[in-house]
Amino acid sequence: MEPESTAVASRPLSILIVDDSTTMRMVIRRVVSLTEVPVDNIYEARNGREALKVLESKSVQAIFTDINMPVMNGEELLREIAQHEEWNDILRIVVSTDGSKLRREAARNLRVSLYVEKPFRPEVVRDVLVQITSPVG
Amino acid sequence: MSLSKSPAQSAKAGEALRDSFIDVCENSFFAYVEACDAHRFAVLAEECSRSARAVQESGGYTAQRASPSEWLKSSVSFTGTFSGAIEVILPERLARTLIASLLGEPADSDFAEHQVFDGLGEFANMICGAWLTNMSQRTAFNLRPPAVTRMVSDWSPLTDSNWADGQGHAMAVNDLPVRLRFRPMAG
Repeated sequence: MEPESTAVASRPLSILIVDDSTTMRMVIRRVVSLTEVPVDNIYEARNGREALKVLESKSVQAIFTDINMPVMNGEELLREIAQHEEWNDILRIVVSTDGSKLRREAARNLRVSLYVEKPFRPEVVRDVLVQITSPVG
Repeated sequence: MSLSKSPAQSAKAGEALRDSFIDVCENSFFAYVEACDAHRFAVLAEECSRSARAVQESGGYTAQRASPSEWLKSSVSFTGTFSGAIEVILPERLARTLIASLLGEPADSDFAEHQVFDGLGEFANMICGAWLTNMSQRTAFNLRPPAVTRMVSDWSPLTDSNWADGQGHAMAVNDLPVRLRFRPMAG
């Protein structure tokens, strides 16, 4: 899936990483830190429900979310986000082992900017983050 | 559908599982993978058990002092058009180096046992997801959270009939032994 063009300003981002695996959260955190994208805060959540609590209390510009998670999975989280107008501008990036067309189509319908399939090379996430946060034009 | 007719048990599916394993090892964990014949696997497994005993005697990993088996099993079960579990068995030493590599940490990093188990769960999760995506692009599967366990103290892949020759794949990752298989289950 090609990343959608966005007009995210180049001000520092606050990022939310949603994954039930501590290891994967650390990997994504590391990948983000390797980019030259300015980052203010990195928040973490273990499932969709925890992620919603973060979104309700913090200003977040980009979300990296897994799909298969206990309590509330990534698709349910994305559906919740889609129902909140105030979260319309949040960049949505799925990082999942499930690369089926069905999941990808569902993600596209939930305004996901990028679907990254595990295993992935760190450069993939880095390049996309740089691309989607670069000023347009 | 009877288990014996599961498409996941075909030779093609077996090759796809092996390819997914190699893909995950090489692209996310930056490890070198080779297929093993029975003789080489036995040599590697015996070397592994011998060096694990040495580590234990020298007061190595905290986890090993508490429970001496070097072998860890990570499995991910799933349901969908076919159901079952992907199981990976490997020595703790290899699990630690794989996780260090994934995280960009030094190979001798001293991870706590829960970190090793979490990382090893993600390892199996990636293999399972990559394989299922390869097997069926048009359908989605429901994956359960990974389960990681330590084998009993005297367990060996060379003596367990559940992992006898012909059951799944025998591989060498960074010159350490790994067994990998798909175990079918009723959906």
